[in-house]
Amino acid sequence: MSKVSTEEIRSFVLQELDEPLRALGHEPGELPDEFDLHESGVIDSFGILELITALEDRFSLEIDYENLDPEELTKVGPFARYVSQQTAGPA
Amino acid sequence: MGATPTGGPAPTEAQIARPLHAGFERSAASFPGRPALEVGGRTLSYAELRDYAASLAATLIREAPGGEPALTAVFAYRSATAFAGLLGALMRGHGYVPLNHNFPLERTRLMLEHAGCNALIVDTASLLQLEELLDGVDRPMVLILPEESEAAALVARFPGHTVVTAPELEPAASLDPVEVDPGDTAYLLFTSGSTGTPKAVMVSHRNANHYVDVLVQRYSVTEHDRFSQTAEMTFDNSVLDMFVPWQCGACVCCPSRKTLIKPGRYIRESELTVWFSVPSTAIFMRRLGALKPASYPSLRWSLFAGEALPAEVAEEWLVAAPNCTVENLYGPTEVTVDCLIYRWDPARSPDECEHGVVPIGYPVPGMTALVADEALHEVEPGTEGELLVSGPQVSLGYLRDPERTAAAFVVPPGHDAIHYRTGDLVRRPADPDAPVPYLGRLDHQIQIFGERIELGEVEAAIREESGVDAVVALGWPVTTAGAGGIEAFVADPDADAGDLKRRLRERLPGQMAPRGVHVLPELPLNDNGKFDRKALMKMLEEAT
Repeated sequence: MSKVSTEEIRSFVLQELDEPLRALGHEPGELPDEFDLHESGVIDSFGILELITALEDRFSLEIDYENLDPEELTKVGPFARYVSQQTAGPA
Repeated sequence: MGATPTGGPAPTEAQIARPLHAGFERSAASFPGRPALEVGGRTLSYAELRDYAASLAATLIREAPGGEPALTAVFAYRSATAFAGLLGALMRGHGYVPLNHNFPLERTRLMLEHAGCNALIVDTASLLQLEELLDGVDRPMVLILPEESEAAALVARFPGHTVVTAPELEPAASLDPVEVDPGDTAYLLFTSGSTGTPKAVMVSHRNANHYVDVLVQRYSVTEHDRFSQTAEMTFDNSVLDMFVPWQCGACVCCPSRKTLIKPGRYIRESELTVWFSVPSTAIFMRRLGALKPASYPSLRWSLFAGEALPAEVAEEWLVAAPNCTVENLYGPTEVTVDCLIYRWDPARSPDECEHGVVPIGYPVPGMTALVADEALHEVEPGTEGELLVSGPQVSLGYLRDPERTAAAFVVPPGHDAIHYRTGDLVRRPADPDAPVPYLGRLDHQIQIFGERIELGEVEAAIREESGVDAVVALGWPVTTAGAGGIEAFVADPDADAGDLKRRLRERLPGQMAPRGVHVLPELPLNDNGKFDRKALMKMLEEAT
């Protein structure tokens, strides 16, 4: 697996969720790192699955999310950092 | 059709003729110090939860003596008040009507108004919506706010209504037991209706007790069990989550909405022994890498209901939870949670699955299944037909809706008992000992995350919001378990898709709100002159 940067992951996520974010009045470019996509109603669990699938297709990744804290799975910044770290190979 | 081979005897009429909360009361007497409920980071013992509920019940009696309807609404979400509230409603001799602040307000108001409740138990998280909710309610309500203590400000906020805060609650000891007719409504739940308005299903104490007794016996539940509580109270899977463990002194482990996003950690940290969810949750866990071998050794039962269970999910779940037995439970709200059950057997089951879907199995003890044609005559063995169910779990019907009740609760020719028409397509097994396979729906109902949704209801909402008659709603993407969401089509090229989507989101709860709205100059028609759903489905396929 090649390294994908946190920034690349983050901008892909925001691009994928551009429509629901704007529909709820959020400017994707101005989201704080801790913005919670689930609490804010941007995505539900099915949305998370779709996002993960799209992300893995785009960057040819296969990510194990078991070690990601539940609090962080749906937060933009921590999620992007976790995925990026996973692409760097085993810790 | 044959009864389930693993069922045991059916509960007797004498056993089920009791109030739904009688099992909880008995456990509170036998195990006062044992945990009854874990919620919001705290544990309530049976004695504590019983006292909280009894205090709410005594307060309800003081503030709203008698009067119809005998229903109390509980506007609370994953809090001690939510659980004590519904037990309190039952102890007061009322049926409970659960409301959810995550639903669009208009929907909650419709539920409250249709139920006609004049008492409402509210927790702090739901209080934020209360003013707006009561905006369209013109009768005086009794508002019990047990988590609040500043009465003066709240009285001013809700003029015309009676406000009761914590200091004014009656002590638990002041509750005199209320006599309950087991044939009365124990809870009222709303299901999606094809004509645009939801249906309010009245389930009696007797109905619910039959279900609870069947499961308690089937799963040999004891006071040492720890049950998951994944279903919202507005969804009848929650009846299993609460009343099966409470009957035996076991603990209901209620996660926060946030915790539910990582169910694997919840199972481990709560040391659950019984898991119950919609199959979608298991599918979600598999995708997140949470079904690794031997991840959940504490589970002794894993139960799935609400939508089709994919065989591969059952197989993988068993690898992740090697000490458990997996069962697939089937049933509409109208027949009290579940009425057919299938036990997964790794040796035999793969051969019994069709199209990769686990069978729905055999009627539970006391219930009977009939596979019938359109004239309600039983079909020949090996033939497909609609599944009809009869027995003590057939509910009381729809509140103030004799027409839709008569259409769904029928007496087939040659029978005496009322049967509920499920609208589900099954096959009468050629071999009488074989399990019933689930083949899909006969109408436009779909299942998303276990929720049964009438596409007709979604279409009615789209028509009203768009002012356009030619609309179609489709379940999309199609999954083995049901559908992932809803896509809407509107024949009006000038419609503002984004705005329409937003308005539908404000109006329809959770999974019912379309995830995408497509505006077209016109909708394709098939040879019968009906909207061509297959062509629209193809359009979605091509777009992805």
